[in-house]
Amino acid sequence: MSHEYVPEIAVDREGNEHEVQGWQDDFYGGKLGFWLFMFTEVLMFGAMFMVLAYYNTLHPQDFLDASASLNRLLGGTNTVILLVSALTMGLGLLKMRVGDVKGAKLMIVATIILATAFLVIKGFEWNAEYKHGVFLLHDKLLVGTPDSLPFGQKLFFGMYFTMTGLHGFHIMIGIGLMIWLLKRINAGKVSQDHHILFWNIALYWDIVHLIWVFVFPYYYMIGADGIQMSDFSMIFGGATNGH
Amino acid sequence: MATKTIDYKKERAGYYKILVGLLLLTAVTFIQPGLFMQESTFLAQMLIAVVKGWMILMFYMHLKGESLIIWMTGFSLFIVFTFFAIVVGIDVQKFQYKDESHITPKYVPVKAAEHGSEAHSTHSKAVEHDSAAHSTH
Amino acid sequence: MSKSYFDETHCAIGHPKSTFMQWMLTIDHKRIGLMYAAVMFTFFFVAVSTAFLMRLELLAPGSQYIDGDTFNQAFTLHGVIMIFLFIIPGVPAVLGNIVMPLMIGAKDVSFPRLNWFTFWLYITGTIVALASLFTDAGFADTGWTFYAPYSINTSTNVIFTLVAAFILGMASILTGLNFLVTIHRLRAPGMTFWKMPLFVWGIYATAWIQLLATPVVGITLVLAIMEKYFGIGIFDPAKGGDPVLFEHLFWIYSHPAVYLMILPAFGIMSEIIPVFSRREIFGYRAIALSSASIAGIGYLVWGHHLYTSGMADTAKVIFSFLTFFVAIPTGIKFYDWVATMYKGKIILSTPMLWALGTIITFTIGGLTGVTIAMIGVDIHLQDTYYTVAHFHYAMLGGVVFLFFAGLHYWFPLVSGKMYNETQAKIAFYLQFVGFNLLWFPMFIAGYYGMPRRYFDYLPEFQIYHQVSFVGAVIFITGLTYMFVVFFKGWRSGEPSGTNPWNATTLEWHMPSSPPPLENHSKVPYVDFNPYEYHHGEPVVKFDYETMKRID
Repeated sequence: MSHEYVPEIAVDREGNEHEVQGWQDDFYGGKLGFWLFMFTEVLMFGAMFMVLAYYNTLHPQDFLDASASLNRLLGGTNTVILLVSALTMGLGLLKMRVGDVKGAKLMIVATIILATAFLVIKGFEWNAEYKHGVFLLHDKLLVGTPDSLPFGQKLFFGMYFTMTGLHGFHIMIGIGLMIWLLKRINAGKVSQDHHILFWNIALYWDIVHLIWVFVFPYYYMIGADGIQMSDFSMIFGGATNGH
Repeated sequence: MATKTIDYKKERAGYYKILVGLLLLTAVTFIQPGLFMQESTFLAQMLIAVVKGWMILMFYMHLKGESLIIWMTGFSLFIVFTFFAIVVGIDVQKFQYKDESHITPKYVPVKAAEHGSEAHSTHSKAVEHDSAAHSTH
Repeated sequence: MSKSYFDETHCAIGHPKSTFMQWMLTIDHKRIGLMYAAVMFTFFFVAVSTAFLMRLELLAPGSQYIDGDTFNQAFTLHGVIMIFLFIIPGVPAVLGNIVMPLMIGAKDVSFPRLNWFTFWLYITGTIVALASLFTDAGFADTGWTFYAPYSINTSTNVIFTLVAAFILGMASILTGLNFLVTIHRLRAPGMTFWKMPLFVWGIYATAWIQLLATPVVGITLVLAIMEKYFGIGIFDPAKGGDPVLFEHLFWIYSHPAVYLMILPAFGIMSEIIPVFSRREIFGYRAIALSSASIAGIGYLVWGHHLYTSGMADTAKVIFSFLTFFVAIPTGIKFYDWVATMYKGKIILSTPMLWALGTIITFTIGGLTGVTIAMIGVDIHLQDTYYTVAHFHYAMLGGVVFLFFAGLHYWFPLVSGKMYNETQAKIAFYLQFVGFNLLWFPMFIAGYYGMPRRYFDYLPEFQIYHQVSFVGAVIFITGLTYMFVVFFKGWRSGEPSGTNPWNATTLEWHMPSSPPPLENHSKVPYVDFNPYEYHHGEPVVKFDYETMKRID
């Protein structure tokens, strides 16, 4: 802001002064607003989890079968990547709060790199699934094809692509936000004394991570049978377990 | 904008401690199906996820020092979701047209399958008549 | 705050010189509210025309002017515009934006640039919604409820409407978010929650619903798009999906949505009744808490839209019980309003006429809702004209009537002028009579079995449609006349002064009418209740230069 905001003073009947909270420079208000927005995101993914749970109760075995066929190595790697990226983002925020702007920018760049790696691995995963005939509007998920999967597996994979797709979309938005954050830092708008934007984007990244913390076990782990050596032999390509 | 003096080293150590905790829990996620609670993998996985999520919320997202209104909103959200889950659960459990519906599985008992925990096959028999039980109002 | 600072910051991007661009880029809540009003009422009249077309078609059995498919598109268009483009933004977008910050002594909302963005998001949503009218496949014909599996299988352009509803939902969420933070952060010093005017309480409760219910419909629409265009199977029985799941997800939002519509309207009623009874409101805390409880309990009753869909009986009973329960806080409000008027000096100005008319029509709407909350009765009356009459009495006779009351009440505040009182009263009576003629016969027709959304009907129902048509003509005449009165008042009405109703709440203590861009000259210290009257006169008086109390 070119002008520093000077809050107004209201005076009561005894003559005491009270500072008026204005809409400018309201750190607490900015935080509150963003937390409320995050609750809407939680609601959206929560509703999708409810849909998933509903079909899970109708088709428990199908869900276990479908889950077993997902690639736990790639999924697990992505989990760790996202975990570390949450750390880098948090450290970046901390550095900004103590005034280390260069360090903060470095951490943001690290987070962007990790996020991109997440998307790349997800791309490989989806590609492998596609090659195995499991993809939206494709082969095993269509009605009437010779390899058509049973109801429960179709629903599992339908929701799998929807939820991981939406989650990946949120990661892309996060990368965009982080690039924008870097620009705002360079323009001097985000600094040690005015870092609400950084705080909120870090919160956003944490919520994206939080959603994955639930997506990963529900999709990948419920059908797992303990780590097997075959998990490690699939790195690229042929990535579905047990097929 | 008044910033409280921040103990950089302490906060940074906090971040790393949580990271280690989260990585450990991720490892537990992987070994759980081979090690403990194998009969209820789903429950175990969800419990681990809740613990991880709680750690992220409290420390990475600083919920620990946050204002009452945010806690109250989170709590109300939790109550509402629980209500949804309970009522939809009741609806599903007591569904009175289970036998005629096209989409509910018809259980045919088979020999214990490879995965161990379930003894039913849920491949739905091809049901010729369509879902007459559902009126789509 | 210096004037130049405010001038520099009251646009979202840059410092435009032309007045047009200053309005397009404005972040000022009053201007944004006015723009919302202009757009919303334009679309309101489009939807009214669609309704009139339907009434015209239904005047006699068989096809007269349009065929069955077009009729389906007509009621879908009517529903989508009325619900998503008009009544859900509704009172919060117009009166919430213009009046609420003034009532709490704030200079603007907490996130004015977000407010600007939200307005243009709304405009985008309206364009997307109506774009499908001009495509080959035509507007959706599924009804505004988009039930699967028809919405999945129909060849009309459902995706435009689904995307539009999502965008409009986002706008609603962001408005709610903005208002929530505003009410929490920007109240004048000394104004605790229990000193807020009841309109602010209404907006507050509404904002919670906007924030926490709309995302569910947002994701439902996304899932419907995924189902229709990517075949994920969750609503398609051929893949094991359950169409009733769509109904559950849809109504989990759409029921709280109706409380989102009515709560700000009740807030308007709570503002008007004390002013025109010259008395403090009866049961302030009860009314405030009832707004909160309606918002809360309203989340738990959605299943009463699904009684005939094959739900388990236990679930039906739970929903029926809770639906009866949610009527209680509304009843408390009505008793409190009537108690406020008791032994008050009633002034029958136009806003008060509208409020009193609403007490009658909403009582009918609310009570008929309780009727169909009974499971056994609903099996017979579901999807008949009884239901249609019920929700029009509640939405049109409740929300929209109170919206009109609010427009009349705050007209002098926003424009600085007064409309012609006699003509406004005539417009009210025309609309009140026309409304009841239009909708009351439908209760009877529905009871005798006239189904809803039907293009053709048995000759025994014709008399009801004919009476309704006469009512529709009278109602639309009154409606149009009311807007003519508003226009004439705006252009050439008498200057009204800053407090023509001699009211007590802060928005009437502005230095000028219309208010200056910066709102109050100075933020007052609030150590008084919002409705303090003594012998019919307001207790609190201000010196408008310093905003200090001089009583």
